[in-house]
Amino acid sequence: MIESVVKLIVPIFSLAIVMYLIRAVKGPTIPDIVLAIDCIGYDLAAFMGILSLYFKSPYLISGAIVLALWSYLLDIYVSRYLLREVRG
Amino acid sequence: MILLYIGAGLMIIGALCDLLAGIGMLKFRNFYLRLHAATIGTVGGAVVPLIGVALAALDMPGLPGRFAIAGASFITALIILLVAPAGSTALAYAAHRSGVEGNFYFDHLRGEER
Repeated sequence: MIESVVKLIVPIFSLAIVMYLIRAVKGPTIPDIVLAIDCIGYDLAAFMGILSLYFKSPYLISGAIVLALWSYLLDIYVSRYLLREVRG
Repeated sequence: MILLYIGAGLMIIGALCDLLAGIGMLKFRNFYLRLHAATIGTVGGAVVPLIGVALAALDMPGLPGRFAIAGASFITALIILLVAPAGSTALAYAAHRSGVEGNFYFDHLRGEER
């Protein structure tokens, strides 16, 4: 039952990630690019959780926590760089 | 058996929210409007499917390590729910300070009053 639901969900997630990539390529300013890449990161975390149900493997879910925290780190670093107050 | 259906429904709701956020990210005009679409894509498109995965993994006997998958999915959902609005707020403040243009009626950060 869960396999048919996952087969219905996977193309929608792929289409959304392609739309985010189009915005990340043609974004006019730097915050647009960073926002699109953050959305890609959070969606990949959710997508990895769904794939761990489909492949019946508990090893894929370990990367999702690190991916979410890495996306937050990119946000904070780029905003600190735009304010010209880089303190290491 | 009822938790499996609830989890599948939450996953389908998350996929639809993600599609709407992608369309909004392409169609909106400036940065401050795309921030609303990004919030739909993070909270509706990442937190809700992860809670659905955590509920569906508890109700699948025969899955190896199902308690590990459920716990890690729930913790990841909680981290994204705490962290994504803080990052978006910091990014919006930095974009306003560095001079990204938007169509404002009046601007509180520059000291304008109504």
